Amino acid sequence: MYLETVSGETGRILELPAPPSRAALAATDLLDGVRKSWLWTTLAQQDVKLRYRGSILGPFWQTLTTAVMIGGMGFIYAKLFHTDLRDYLPMLTVGLIFWMFVAGMITEGCGTFVGVQGIIQQVRLPFSLHVYRLVYRNLLTLAHNFVIVPIVLAIFPHPINWMRLFELVPGLILIAITGIWVSTLLGMISARFRDVPPIVASVVQVVFFMTPIMWPVEALGPNAWWAQLNPLFAAVDVLRGPLLGQPTAKYSWTILATITVFGCAAAFAFFARFRSRIAFWV
Amino acid sequence: MKKALLATSTHGNLGRDALDRINIRALSDVSIDIVNGDRVGLVGLNGAGKTTLLKVLAGVYEPTEGRLAASGSVSSLLDTQVGLNADATGHENIILRGMYMGIHPSEMRERAPEVAAFTELGHYLDMPVRTYSAGMMIRLAFAISTCIPPDILIMDEWLTAGDAQFLEKAQRRIEDFVRGSSILVLASHSTELVERWCNRGILLHHGRIMSVGPVKEVIAAYRRLIDPSAQDAAPQMAAVG
Repeated sequence: MYLETVSGETGRILELPAPPSRAALAATDLLDGVRKSWLWTTLAQQDVKLRYRGSILGPFWQTLTTAVMIGGMGFIYAKLFHTDLRDYLPMLTVGLIFWMFVAGMITEGCGTFVGVQGIIQQVRLPFSLHVYRLVYRNLLTLAHNFVIVPIVLAIFPHPINWMRLFELVPGLILIAITGIWVSTLLGMISARFRDVPPIVASVVQVVFFMTPIMWPVEALGPNAWWAQLNPLFAAVDVLRGPLLGQPTAKYSWTILATITVFGCAAAFAFFARFRSRIAFWV
Repeated sequence: MKKALLATSTHGNLGRDALDRINIRALSDVSIDIVNGDRVGLVGLNGAGKTTLLKVLAGVYEPTEGRLAASGSVSSLLDTQVGLNADATGHENIILRGMYMGIHPSEMRERAPEVAAFTELGHYLDMPVRTYSAGMMIRLAFAISTCIPPDILIMDEWLTAGDAQFLEKAQRRIEDFVRGSSILVLASHSTELVERWCNRGILLHHGRIMSVGPVKEVIAAYRRLIDPSAQDAAPQMAAVG
């Protein structure tokens, strides 16, 4: 279906094809973002480098901070929960590092578009590019933090089923996808309603204390099952299980997969509808 | 009553909707056709909608009504700072800003010496960009943004802060592009610059096109808008000259 108009000034006949649907435009945006992977990977690497420019330890400052936090908390809370340090410290280390990854993406996700307001208002780029940059940056930070895990697991060894380590691959992929849909959705909402980021930050903080990261699930006794319904617990559990040689909780994969599917659908619908307004909102 | 007053004083462009949110209609009824080889000068008072129109042409804002059809690569110089990392050197920023233009770092590294030469910044390129003056930033930004001749070049008013020598150089480069059938759209308050560089003009007023056509006519209309009482300067000069 073509729209034909004649230009009044130049007399040119313009034939414009029917405009693509919003969903098609959104899908194109997502694909164009993937195609520009060289751009967002380079920018993400630069983001990480810039955070530590001029320091000696560089990105491993984050690793050191995390290690100090784990060391401090580990000794005290192991005593508080009456658990052996040998069991508690690995659980805390692995859980905390993955929690920082997942929760980090959620909190930072609010600033996906607002944070690059300058770019959005000057250059035409696919919006998904900023989302992928954020997720990749968090993956890089995770990689830096992860250095602690082999060290702790070497000091406090647990029997590990090495075959189970392959579970980390689908786990990380699913959580990266979680990061993508959450950043898109929260990023857009935060661009429109500027009080959302602090609310999200507070909620995430509260949820941290309600999630079995610092405290073992068993401490809840017979009521442990409702803590396992927590989707953020599911996310951490799926990654944590293989590394600690512990079975993943029964419904973690199901919960994670379900939330990913519905989350992606919701985020895509929102993105398709309001993508063109992001430049006005930021 | 307040709504009616608001609407009249802002020519109907600013209003409050039912939820008491302020809406701004930055542009209305803008229909233009720009073809190969056109060098279009956008003039108008502050707040007329020039930058908004440039952003629409650059693809940054999608029109809420109507369509934009653009064929060719678009290079927009709306802001000297975009993509620049203040702590990185001039050389590093050449690569960085090139990335935002869609040029892969490996390709940009090949073009870097040519870009560096065009800026004429010499050893300053080894310094962090936050030490640069505004004029130096413009040289750098312009050199990077025009290193690959775009099909459509969109420029906002900052160019006029460059010195005369740079402006001449920039003009020559732009003329080269346009001869190669590129399009230029430039917004400026400097009527002299617009007259020198452009063949067509658009006068925007409160978001609407007030005049469009050959650049001399549009500039005359713009001058009449600024100062309705003044006589046209040209006839006087002809009489003197």
